[in-house]
Amino acid sequence: MPLVGVDEGTGGLVRAARGGDREAFGLLVERSWQRLVRLARSVVGELEAEDAVQDGLVAAWARLGTLADPDRFDAWLSRIVFRRCLRAHRRQRGRVSLEAVPEAPVSCDPAASVSAWQLLSRLAPRQRAVLHLTVVEGMTDAEIAPLLAITPASVRAHRRRARESAARLLQGGKS
Amino acid sequence: MKDPDVNDELSRFEAELRAWGARPARTSASVARTQVTARLPLVCEPIPWLRLAASAALVVVLAVATWLGAPRASREGKASVHGESPPPIDPNVVVWVMDTRTTVYFVLGPDGSTKGGMS
Repeated sequence: MPLVGVDEGTGGLVRAARGGDREAFGLLVERSWQRLVRLARSVVGELEAEDAVQDGLVAAWARLGTLADPDRFDAWLSRIVFRRCLRAHRRQRGRVSLEAVPEAPVSCDPAASVSAWQLLSRLAPRQRAVLHLTVVEGMTDAEIAPLLAITPASVRAHRRRARESAARLLQGGKS
Repeated sequence: MKDPDVNDELSRFEAELRAWGARPARTSASVARTQVTARLPLVCEPIPWLRLAASAALVVVLAVATWLGAPRASREGKASVHGESPPPIDPNVVVWVMDTRTTVYFVLGPDGSTKGGMS
């Protein structure tokens, strides 16, 4: 049954999608897409980000019935996509070192994009995600915690370690 | 981290990260919507409540089956407890269990004669 007269807030769309409304789920996909791809790109890189997000979205559709509170859809979806990214990251590690194949730059400033990703890719996946959500999305610890299924204290610890590692790598690159 | 140079470099890195991370996805949201909805299975997985209900029903069935089986087993157990103890097993003894309360046994004498009893 297509969306007719459905409350177009996230909760309303989730409830409609849970009832099998693919159009409602499509709208949720459209709303979340950019945000999820940005997160995935920081965890698995440009090449695999969109695949990881699509896989996560399909998995989310199948598991919509397990979502207790439709109003927490965004955090729930982010957790699913983040777990897909962790899986993709493990596969990447098994295949080839990320350092061996630096990604093609796609921004206006190629040097900046290569160096940002090259450094980011040497951090642990959770550190990458925390750094991304803090620096790029400007989120608070309390907002980040449910997205990654960790506590705000863990968010702070991951960010501190990420900055320490980044500083070490930057110092190493200088010498 | 206290080194001002390192802090500067970290700030520069975070600025680069902000620019790199904020770029839009290569696939637009509307195209992604079409691609994802085309990949969706026809129906959502059954709600876990259904799976939970099925598991609960299985547990109930097993519990009922156990409960129905239990009195029979205990009845048999009681019979053996309250009934006569079985005669000693001996090559010269023939035991004939007629039912749980009646056991007939024959003792073969050395000369071939038989004597017996019923308990």
